[in-house]
This record gives sequence, C-alpha cells and structure tokens, in this order.
Amino acid sequence: MNLEDIIKETKTYYCLECGKCTSLCPVSRYNSNFSPRFMLERALMGFGDELIHDRELFSCLACYACSNLCPSDVDYPVFTQKVRNLASGEGEHGDCAHSGILFSLMRLMSRSDIRQKRLDWLDGCHTSEKSEVLYFAGCAPYFEPVFEDIEVSPVNIARNSIKVLNALGIEPMVLPNERCCGHDLLWTGDVETFKKLAQFNAQMIKESGAKKIVFSCPEGYRTFKIDYPQYVELDCELMHITELLAQNLSSLSFRAKRSNPEVKRVTYHDPCRLGRHLGIYEPPREIIRAIPEIKLTEMEHSGDESICCGTSAWTNCSSYSKQIRVERLHEAKATGAEALVTACPKCQIHFKCAMVDKGTEKCTNIEMKVMDIVTLVADALGDKSSE
Amino acid sequence: MEEVKIGIYVCHCGLNIADIVDVEEVTKYATTLPAVVVSRNYKFMCSDPGQNMIKEDIKELGLNRVVVASCSPLMHEPTFRRTIQEAGVNPYLFEMANIREHCSWITEDHKAATEKAKALVSAAVRRVYYHQPLEIKEVPVNPNTLIIGGGIAGIQAALEIADSEHKVYLVERDPSIGGHMIQFDKTFPTLDCSACILTPKMTSVGMHPYIELMTYSEVEEISGFVGSFKARIRKKARYVDEDKCNGCGVCVTKCPWKANSEFDLGLSERKAIYTPFAQAVPNIPVIDTEHCAYFLKEKCRACEKFCELGAIDFEQVDQIVEVEVGNIIVTTGYDSFDPTPITQYGYGKFDNVYTGLEFERICNAVGPTSGKIVLKDGSEPKSVAILHCVGSRDENYHEYCSRVCCMYALKYSHLIKERTDAEVYQMYIDMRCFGKGYEEFYKRLSEEGVNFIRGKVAEVTDRAINEDEQGKLIVCGEDTLLCKTIRVPVDMVILATALEPRSDAAEVAKLLTITQSADGFFLERHPKLDPVATMTDGVFIAGCCQGPKDIPDAVAQASAAATRVLALISKGRVELEAATAVIDEEKCSGCRICNLLCPYSAISFIEDEKVSRINEALCKGCGTCVAACPSAAITHRQFTMEEITAEIEGVLV
Ligand SMILES: Cc1cc2nc3c(=O)[nH]c(=O)nc-3n(C[C@H](O)[C@H](O)[C@H](O)COP(=O)(O)OP(=O)(O)OC[C@H]3O[C@@H](n4cnc5c(N)ncnc54)[C@H](O)[C@@H]3O)c2cc1C
Ligand code: SF4
Ligand code: SF4
Ligand code: SF4
Ligand code: SF4
Ligand code: SF4
Repeated sequence: MNLEDIIKETKTYYCLECGKCTSLCPVSRYNSNFSPRFMLERALMGFGDELIHDRELFSCLACYACSNLCPSDVDYPVFTQKVRNLASGEGEHGDCAHSGILFSLMRLMSRSDIRQKRLDWLDGCHTSEKSEVLYFAGCAPYFEPVFEDIEVSPVNIARNSIKVLNALGIEPMVLPNERCCGHDLLWTGDVETFKKLAQFNAQMIKESGAKKIVFSCPEGYRTFKIDYPQYVELDCELMHITELLAQNLSSLSFRAKRSNPEVKRVTYHDPCRLGRHLGIYEPPREIIRAIPEIKLTEMEHSGDESICCGTSAWTNCSSYSKQIRVERLHEAKATGAEALVTACPKCQIHFKCAMVDKGTEKCTNIEMKVMDIVTLVADALGDKSSE
Repeated sequence: MEEVKIGIYVCHCGLNIADIVDVEEVTKYATTLPAVVVSRNYKFMCSDPGQNMIKEDIKELGLNRVVVASCSPLMHEPTFRRTIQEAGVNPYLFEMANIREHCSWITEDHKAATEKAKALVSAAVRRVYYHQPLEIKEVPVNPNTLIIGGGIAGIQAALEIADSEHKVYLVERDPSIGGHMIQFDKTFPTLDCSACILTPKMTSVGMHPYIELMTYSEVEEISGFVGSFKARIRKKARYVDEDKCNGCGVCVTKCPWKANSEFDLGLSERKAIYTPFAQAVPNIPVIDTEHCAYFLKEKCRACEKFCELGAIDFEQVDQIVEVEVGNIIVTTGYDSFDPTPITQYGYGKFDNVYTGLEFERICNAVGPTSGKIVLKDGSEPKSVAILHCVGSRDENYHEYCSRVCCMYALKYSHLIKERTDAEVYQMYIDMRCFGKGYEEFYKRLSEEGVNFIRGKVAEVTDRAINEDEQGKLIVCGEDTLLCKTIRVPVDMVILATALEPRSDAAEVAKLLTITQSADGFFLERHPKLDPVATMTDGVFIAGCCQGPKDIPDAVAQASAAATRVLALISKGRVELEAATAVIDEEKCSGCRICNLLCPYSAISFIEDEKVSRINEALCKGCGTCVAACPSAAITHRQFTMEEITAEIEGVLV
C-alpha cells in the first residue's frame, strides 16, 4: 500500500483541515510538536517523505478521540497504522520503551519452533482440555516479571478471569502455546511479524475446536475482531469478558463481605480499544452497578469522551504520556472514588507507572488505587470463585 | 396499420458521447434493425440543425417513428417530442436511448460503451415499433393559489401574486406570519433593521384584498392535480373571535398565567393568552390551552371579564376550511439545529452558551434583554467566542454547509463590538462570504478588530488550568494557521448552529407528493435549470424549505415561484400526461390493491360496478399499479406487454 492508497482508504481526501482532531488529541494537548491535522496535511501536500521520518509519527495512541468526532470521518488512527508500515520499511520504529524487551518477546513468539512455559499461573483455576470456550490469556505471563516493580500483576487478572468464568460454570480451555495477538507490532508497522502471529493463533484455535473466545485484554479483542479478518480466517464468536459477565449477571452470587471493603466508591476508565474502538461502554458499568455496596461515579470525560491512558504499543512513551496519565488520575480523584477501575491490563500498567515514577515538575504526584474490573468482580464473588 | 418507418439519430453531444462511444459504428449498426429507414449521427441533435434534420427526414422519407440516441429523457424528451410534432408526427411516437449517462459517462472502455449503446438503440427501435399515437388533453387552471408558510418567502410570493389581482390563500402554522426573519434584530450585510423592512410587507399581507390569511392553521389534506387542487385546512381554535377582537391586548395584560415564550426561545415569558410579538399580523391573541388556568382547572376567565368586545370564546372549536386552487407554493422554511447532542460544547450545561437564534433575540431591542448584550447574571461580557459550523459540514450531523452562519457570525461580531467593549473571537473552518457585499462586510469586521482563528473548536469547558481561566468558559481548539493548540477563556459562547429541514418535512412532502433530497430539504425539479419547481406539476418550492439560504435568495426564489404560478394562471390551461395507465374493467377483479398503491391517489373504486377506475387527469403514468395488479388488468399506454418484451429482446439480441 502506498501513501496514495492510504489516503483513499482512510478518507483523508475529505479532511477539511479544521484542526478539531488536534484539539481533541490528548497528545497534542501537551506535545506541541504533534498535530494529527498537520500529519494528514503533509500527506496530502506531497510531503510523504518528511512524514515518514517524523519522530512524531509514532506518537499517536490510536485512541480514536479524533476520528470519533472528525467532521469528515477521517480515520486518522488507521492512517497512522498504515503510514507506520511504510516508515518501518525505511527503518523507522519510534522510541521503544522498556529497552525493547517486550518487542523482543513478541518477535520470539513469531518463531514456529519455540516452546513456551506460559501456564504456570493457573493454580486454583479450573480449566479443561476440551471446551467450547477458550480464554485468550495474551501477554499476561510475559508482562508479569517486567512490571513486578510497579506492583502490577497481569497474571492475577488472567487468574481472576478464569475464576470468574468458573463461577459462571465455564471451565475454559487455555492454549499452552498461544502467541501474542500482535497488536503492538501491527500498530508500529511490523505487519510481517504480525501476520505470522495471527496465522499461528488462528491455526491453533482452529485445531482446538473452540467456538467462542473470551478476552480480558481489550487489545487482543480488538485485534481479533477488527484486524485478524483481514489476514486470517477464524470462525469463532469473540467476546470481552465484561460482555459475557453483563449478560450473565443474574447467575453470579455476590457475597456480602468483599475482600477489599475499603473500596466503596469507584470510577470507571474506558479503555480506548473497548470503548471507542468497539463501542462497549455499558457492560462494564452494568457489572459495577450490580456489585453490592459499590457506587459508580463518572469522571468528567467518560464513555466516548474518555481520555486515553497515554501510551500505546510501548512506543514514544514520554513526559507527555505521564502528563496525560496524571491529568486523568486527577479527574478520577475528583470524583471522590477510592479506586479507578479499568478493563485493560495496559491501562493499569500505565497509571501505576505514572504514580511510581516521580516525574517532572510539570505534574504533581498523585496516588490512587487502580484495579481491573475482573479483580473487582472476583473479590466480590461467593466462595465458588476461590474454591 | 400503416407501414412503420423508423429514423435513428445518434448524437455526439460534443465529445461527451463521441469521445467514448463509436457513434459511426452505432449509426451503421442501426441500419440493420427492423423497419429502420434512415440512420444518421450529428454533433448536437438538440440544436436547430439537428432538429431540422429530423423534420426534413420526416417530410422526405415519410418517417412515422423516431429514435434519438443521446442523453437522458429527463433532459430532452420534451424537445424531440416537440420536434416531431412540428413535423406532423404524434409526439408519443418517439423513443430515446440514453447513451450518455448510461454509456459514455460511466466507463472509459470504448468497446463496452459502444456495445451497450448498440443494445440500447436496438431496444429503443423494437420498442418504438409498437408505440401508438396518444391524445394530449388540456384542463383549465384555477386562478387561486395556496401558499403554505408565512415567512419572508411566503410573504413575498403572496404579495406578488395578489398584486396581480389573483387570489391567494396564505396558511401559516404560527399565530402570526413573519417566520424567522421577524425574530432578527439586524440583517447582514447591510445591517438593515429586520422589523423595519419586514413589517410593512406583513401589514400589506394582512390588509390585502386578494390575500386570505389563515394563521394558526395547517393544511391537512391535498387532492387533485395541477390546475385544480383541493386543500383541506384546519384553522385551530384561538378561543378569540377574530371578527370581534380589535387587538387592544387587555386580555393579555390581565391574564395571570405564564409560559415560556416560543418567540424568545424560552429566554422570556409570555402569558397564557398572547400574541407572539408586538407587530404580529394578525394582531389577534390566541389562548394556549396547555397553560391557561381555565383549560387546566376550569377557573379564572379573567380575559373574558376584561374584554369589552366580548371576543373571548371558550367554546370555539377547530374549523375545517376547504379551498380550491390551481397551484401551490411551499415556503415552510427551516428549523434551527439543536446543539445539545454535541455535549463537548456545553449547550444546556453552561449558562452563557447560546445558539445563533437565541443570540438574535438577545440583540433585539424588544427581546428578553431589550437589546443589551449581557450574560445571564446581567453583566456585560468582556469576551465572546463564536463557533462556526455547529452541526454543519460534519458527517456526524449535517454534511452540507448552512451558508448563512458565517455571515450571521460576522453580523454578531459587529453588534457585539458596537454595543460592548468585548473582545470577539471567531473560530472558523473557512469564511464563506459568497454574496453581494459579503466579502466587503468580512473586511470591515477585520478592521473592527475581530479575532479570526482558523480551526474547529473541540471543546468548551469550565475547568480552568490557570488564574486567567478562572470563572471563564474556555474554548479549546487548534489555530491551524499557527499549528498550535489554543485555549481561549471567554465569558460568552455563541454557537453558529446549522439550518436544518423542518422536523415535519417528511409529512409535508407526503401531503404534497413532493420529494426530499438526501439532506432532507425539498427537492427541486432541476438544481440549476428548474430550481423552484418540483416533480409534481403545480407545486412549487421557495426559501429555506429547499435548502439553507439567505434572505435575498429566499426572496428571489419566492418571486420566481410566483412568476411560474402567474404564467400558468395567465395561460389558463395545462396539458396532461397522455402516457397513462388504463384498467380493463372486464379483467378487474375489484381487489383494490391498486387503489392503495397509487402514489398520486389516481385510482378509485366504483362501488356499483365493483371495479377500479383510473382518473386520467391524476395519473402520472408511474406504472406502479400495472406491476401490482394480480389480474393483469392494467395496461400502461406506453409500456404494453408487447413493448416491454420487444425492448428486452432488443437488449438481448
Ligand atoms: C441565526 C440566524 C440569523 C440569520 N440572519 C440573517 C441575516 O442577517 N440576513 C439574511 O439574509 N439571512 C439571515 N438568516 C437566514 C434567514 O433566516 C432565512 O433566509 C429566511 O428566514 C428564510 O425564510 P423562509 O420564509 O424560507 O423560512 P422561515 O423564516 O423559516 O419561514 C417559514 C414559515 O413557515 C411556517 N411553517 C412551517 N411549516 C409550516 C406548515 N407545515 N404549515 C404552515 N406553516 C408552516 C413557519 O411557521 C414560518 O413562519 C439567518 C438565519 C439564522 C438561523
Ligand atoms: S478533525 Fe478530521 S477534518 Fe478536521 S483536520 Fe482532523 S482529520 Fe481533518
Ligand atoms: S488517535 Fe488519539 S492519540 Fe492518535 S491522533 Fe487521534 S486523538 Fe491523538
Ligand atoms: S382564562 Fe386563561 S387566557 Fe384567560 S386570563 Fe385566565 S389563564 Fe389567561
Ligand atoms: S456558512 Fe460558514 S459557519 Fe455556516 S456551515 Fe458554512 S462554513 Fe460553516
Ligand atoms: S400509473 Fe397507476 S399507480 Fe401510477 S399514477 Fe397512474 S394510476 Fe397511479
């Protein structure tokens, strides 16, 4: 795909150059070098080369805040995704966070001959070898050691997800050799490796005989739902765990005493992939409202106006990212909630990181409990879940 | 039957057709078709030499059927029908093959386009073979006219027709005529006082011997056809006797009950008995039964006690009036877009965020603030931002540009500058100052020190991030010329809201059997060449019901519609479509399926004979009934089974 095709596919031709995107963009708010409008304009004016080598090409979070309200319905995030693919062909990759370890892991997983030991965390969970339902654990086992120091446990989210599924009477399959969904590679331009991962996953899932795949990570969900169909064939029903839970709320028996009774009021942060990408706003809220003695208060920006957690695909994480996070945490604090609940492990990582990293003078420090929605549910469930 | 002799004329349409379709080949091919006597091609068949070519062939070769392969029949069928008629051939012995829109304009592939052109010509030839001469009937035109909607467009059209001493029924839904224009203070670009230029016209309407004004009324049913329509009009009960009331207004003063004023868009209150504004025409109040104490609780009747003329009549009921007219002009105008769904702009949430129309009332000397530009708390704003394109040029709302909002935004800037010391910021995508004197007005405003910022606003918030922003509304956007995101703290925000189709436009369209374009406004017959006519003969449109426009354009359209009506009145008769459908009563089983399907209500059921019959004056020949009749009892005079089969055969061979 060349720049011309990308412009066509994303309706960039229709751009009015009105700048609404830039003024909505959480990155542009702090980083004056980044303007989605200006990126598009350069593509339209024939400055493609300049665009491809601009460091800021990798600053977009694909949060869809811009595209959601763009008067001409220009798909800036997909424009970015595709232009990054061109850029990666010219050796551009953006600034990779965490010394690139996460990307190395993803690329390792794209080899056919690796043997993973990715299911050690399963204790206390009931899974089965053959089930119609497959739980897609994603990169949780790999994130675990990397983010230990900021006290995020993605594996705990995975474990709680299975416990909650057990509480619904579902004993899901988990794949011992599952691969990364490829989201971050796709969004940083490495389509080749992304394709390989997609093929491995599709093949394994087909062989497993699963009919339905449940995700606790919105990125995996989006990737399977929107991106995979363009590259691989997969005939399964896809669901985020919050959708499944919301549909089956009546079969959950919440206990009177939760393990974290200090949390009484929470606010919910919509992960971009779940919210604006897939339009899932209500199910998580229904779940929270159903939990006894928990009150949900909304932030100033919620639902389709929610603000991104500040970094995507472990790329171009910067002081601006931190500013976005701190700002968002202030919004959460302002609701009077004791905890910020989200439905994405990466959001949690990013918010916790912003609290641990005693950043620059530009942002005041802020402390707040951040937890995943499945953890909140697992804590509130009767004995079934911890059996 | 006399021997059929067909002539074929292939048009180049300059290069429009000839560039893609091989016209020579098509011409040659046509000679091989049955009954074809002559086949020619020419640069412009619709030109005089082109038409003369046909006429001469008719004379010399004795042609009795003609096929022109050119553009859409919508464009030139009438032209060529007239041509052959002038040469003595019945105009219905004609067929057009559309080799432009259907061939040359849709592909670059010469071969494919030529093949298709040949197929269409072959179909037209086989079809025209079976055409029969049809007789064109004429009916007289009733010289009365119905105008629906009493805004500036309706007023203008009514006066022009009435001034020529032809009767006009002007039906207005509200208690007074005037429309949106009477709500304005000044009008761009000349800044004339709106009331000063409009009220004389309103008074003329009220007093005109040839205008029967029916306010607080709505048209409920229309039947008939061009030349003789019947309209059923509901005159809603005012509970005030129009003949007795002299407009003294004592009842209004004495009425103790209040409601939000529609005219002031809820920015002020009016009484339960009210005239919407001081110069209302007619100056006769109405009682709003939803807020009147008598209608709610059966007590009060203060108005009745104080009215010396005994004009208050609580027993009044809605009246149904039937009128007969020859033509109808629709001038129902527009609605102002409600910006509440754009939550980012805080309309309805912040006190000092206004729509364009609300600000119009705030500026107005007799408006809720007596023309003082003030905030909700009564103080004068130190800064005002005007946000352009709210609800316009936006795929999420209306795709079109509303055309007048850039200009009314400029008008407001001027009024704010004139009456306050406030800084004014205009946040625009493009300044669209298209009309006469408009660009000059824009320049003048630049001189007056208005700040123009190019960029569509993303958000209006009250969350301050520094001292300067405390207590202000902060307008966030990108200055796209400086490539910088900006936050502008202001006291007042005016949303330049879109003009949109009336919420009941679909019903009105159905009532009049006219159509709406994709944007919801009424569709004109041709966007350039027939802008005030509709697809329904005798029904015309003018003003903003056809699309957003300014007053000069609305007035020009109204005059144009009036002229069209006067032309028909002056001719005194209209020709009816001859290519209609006809029911074979022998075959009709009386199932009545066609009765309901006919979009022109042309079919009625004859109870005595238990058969359906088509009123030829009403039938437009659309063919719906023909396809629907389960007994195959209906034939279209120019789409007989024979003709259709021959046409299909023509495409296939
Ligand atoms: C905020 C604002 C400011 C503007 N300022 C200017 C300006 O300064 N200069 C300028 O040139 N233009 C201006 N315009 C444009 C101007 O308002 C229009 O061009 C003009 O009002 C169009 O007149 P109209 O008669 O077509 O429609 P309208 O003014 O809308 O009148 C339509 C009438 O039809 C009636 N009606 C509707 N439906 C029915 C029905 N079913 N049955 C009976 N009656 C019905 C309505 O009650 C109304 O009286 C402005 C527009 C806006 C929104
Ligand atoms: S919001 Fe849309 S139309 Fe406006 S500049 Fe951005 S991409 Fe272009
Ligand atoms: S997707 Fe989000 S981060 Fe990317 S340009 Fe749009 S608003 Fe900015
Ligand atoms: S009867 Fe109704 S309209 Fe008359 S004065 Fe009382 S409230 Fe007003
Ligand atoms: S007239 Fe101006 S403000 Fe109105 S929609 Fe068009 S460009 Fe926008
Ligand atoms: S062809 Fe039939 S359906 Fe169409 S207008 Fe005539 S009578 Fe009505």
